[in-house]
Amino acid sequence: MHPIFQNWKVFLLYLAVWVPLGAILGLLISVVGTLSAAEAAAIIAPVTVVLAFVCLSPWYACRALPLRSARAGRLLGQHLLAAMVVAVGVLLVARLAASSFSDILPGLDQRFRAAVPVLTAMVAMIYLLSTAMHYVVIEAQASRRSELLAREAQLRALKAQVNPHFLFNSLNSISALTASDAVRAREMCIRLADFLRTSLRLGERAAIPFREEMELTRMYLGVEQVRFGRRLRLHEDMETACDECEVPALLIQPLVENAVKHGIALLDEGGEILLLARRVREGLRFTIENPFDPAAPANRSGIGLANVRQRLEARYGTAARLEVEAGENWYRVTLTVPALVS
Amino acid sequence: MKAGVLKAVIADDEELARGILREYIEHEGPANQPGMEIVAECTNGFEAVKACGEWKPDVLFLDIQMPKLDGFEVLELIDPKVAVVFVTAFDQYAMRAFDAAAVDYLLKPFGVERFRTAIEKVRRRVGEVRPASLPEELKNAARPTGAYLERVVVKDGAKVHVIPAGKLDYAEAQDDYVALRSEGRGWLKQQTIASLEAALDPKRFVRLHRSYLVNVERITRIEQNTKDTWLAVLVDGSKIPLSRGGYARLNALIGG
Repeated sequence: MHPIFQNWKVFLLYLAVWVPLGAILGLLISVVGTLSAAEAAAIIAPVTVVLAFVCLSPWYACRALPLRSARAGRLLGQHLLAAMVVAVGVLLVARLAASSFSDILPGLDQRFRAAVPVLTAMVAMIYLLSTAMHYVVIEAQASRRSELLAREAQLRALKAQVNPHFLFNSLNSISALTASDAVRAREMCIRLADFLRTSLRLGERAAIPFREEMELTRMYLGVEQVRFGRRLRLHEDMETACDECEVPALLIQPLVENAVKHGIALLDEGGEILLLARRVREGLRFTIENPFDPAAPANRSGIGLANVRQRLEARYGTAARLEVEAGENWYRVTLTVPALVS
Repeated sequence: MKAGVLKAVIADDEELARGILREYIEHEGPANQPGMEIVAECTNGFEAVKACGEWKPDVLFLDIQMPKLDGFEVLELIDPKVAVVFVTAFDQYAMRAFDAAAVDYLLKPFGVERFRTAIEKVRRRVGEVRPASLPEELKNAARPTGAYLERVVVKDGAKVHVIPAGKLDYAEAQDDYVALRSEGRGWLKQQTIASLEAALDPKRFVRLHRSYLVNVERITRIEQNTKDTWLAVLVDGSKIPLSRGGYARLNALIGG
């Protein structure tokens, strides 16, 4: 249904707009056809009512022929044709009105003929104008929707970012340390605060240099290392050429968090997480590899790779890639993004 | 051991998390002395099941996310007389689902006052037997919707055996137990067939009969038994009777 019917106030407003429009049409044909005010009104009143409803129909036509997809020539042709059909239809209504009122207003039928060309042109123009306005409304709606989607993705990313499970476990570690090792407890508080502050700050930006994302990732790992102790080991191999390459904010850190949650946390002896960054022909390639226990219970939480994929696609289209490989007891995620230097 | 002293097992893979329980248990002032002794500390689910078998503790402090077996799986495998206190960073909502089975749950981080409340509850419930099987709708609340059990854990003497869902041929109801058939071997588990059915993917497991839940992939053919009874023949040659309802369910699953 046309969105105008969703809100009756909007619909009433729309109808009100037709009052002056009808008046103008009436004035026009009374001048051209030398009709009296009553005669013009008798013709124009039914015409206006019909036109008011017919001018809502472009909503369907505009959606069937979106601005971007159709060729301009075809678009124009289709709408012109529709306008002509509408004009003929409306003129028939006008004729009908003129002939049915010719009993009371004698001669109306003949004098009305002089106004036909003007009225036809006006109706077609009004219809085309309505079509154009519908396109404007539809475009505005579409851009608002894509904005909403982008905002939603951002919120989701943020939510995934500060995972409550991680937060509570970290607080528990701090709580444990306060009695046994106050200095380390304080240090962990500070690490956690740094991590939270940085992720909030970075979360506001769409893309950040790889270097900054890695700083955040290291803060995260710093907190987890207190929790897991020697079970969490790291091996980093990053080319400095990657530092300034642009990556979507808060995209890599959740991948590392997954490696901890699904890999290290479920291994008795823990293991080593390998972080690799290379400048390649296509751009920046980042690899994260972690061991995992194939016999481990399924871990219920974690940010889905689907989410990461979605964000990459929204930003880079087909230019970015996310590859996942799993061996018997290792898991590797490789991310390739175009090298845009920020 | 002194009378009234509770034997406790701690199961958490994080050293610091075990440390805080140890601290609360050991260093509380005499006035608030919970009178508890730690008999074992475990870092994974297997150890927790083993320790419960060996030590017959009064209380088990159990983390949810651990290597080998998660807390829910441990809960299924230990003696129902052990009072279980979940210690977890999971949110309250998910944990409420386990009220029926666990005596209490401590949400990390927790204070000593909260800890004492849990101990009081444990003292009141010592020796009480918790329900063997949880109402399945409660258990499912802790699983994300649409996620099904990927594996079934069973006890094999003192050891724990894990049966991946794909390797489970069928389950047969036997009183309070289900007999599970996998890779040519049989296992008994204290669980109702209905709760097992609810936990497994209904696209892969179908209830052919009141007493039988069968892995659809294992069915090779359907044989007529008598005029209006049917048998499902599995890959390993076992024959499972089909009830009228089971026949319809199987048809709906593979025919539809």
